[in-house]
Amino acid sequence: MSKGRIIDHPILGRLDEREEVHFTFDENKLIGYEGETIAAALLANGERVLRCHEETGKLRGIYCNIGHCMECRVNVGNQKSVRACLTVIQEGMEVKSGRKLPTPFKKGETQ
Amino acid sequence: MRDHKTIICRCEEVSLEDLVRTAESYRCSSRELKLRTRAGMGQCGGRTCRALVDSITQKCTNDSTPHDIPLGYQAPIRPITFSIMGEKKDE
Repeated sequence: MSKGRIIDHPILGRLDEREEVHFTFDENKLIGYEGETIAAALLANGERVLRCHEETGKLRGIYCNIGHCMECRVNVGNQKSVRACLTVIQEGMEVKSGRKLPTPFKKGETQ
Repeated sequence: MRDHKTIICRCEEVSLEDLVRTAESYRCSSRELKLRTRAGMGQCGGRTCRALVDSITQKCTNDSTPHDIPLGYQAPIRPITFSIMGEKKDE
């Protein structure tokens, strides 16, 4: 079992060889395979935290993995709020995780 | 999780306790409960918690007030970013 991928599945058989795709996640270089979604490639590289909650900063990651819950939204290049579980990785893709946003008008928080 | 409170609305982190307390103290309809607690206003568009908020209002205000209409489906059905609606492309 390679790091994070099931190479030899008892039923599905062997994972066929695919081209490697280089992309970055928060500035560190990662390698995924062609046809993998961002969420799958990150999970295979051991990255489970895709963003943190915009207001409370709680860590969030994959939830539904079929594009409904928007929990896996990441920033790809200059495009915001892209669903990682639906977007296939491309060569040289720059993925950035979502950060906690400032809440200057919340009571008790002065910024 | 905030000391293990059951979270009903995952996108806005509204717990069951908040919803029940608000629904009981203001005896509000689903729509008012949504407006007061933001449950159902998150990025997923209420997919997870719409039914739960409705059932909480049913349970807490048991004489389900006549004007109590269940939560609707607000456009845009799929979340979109403002850049799609006419960002100036600087060539």
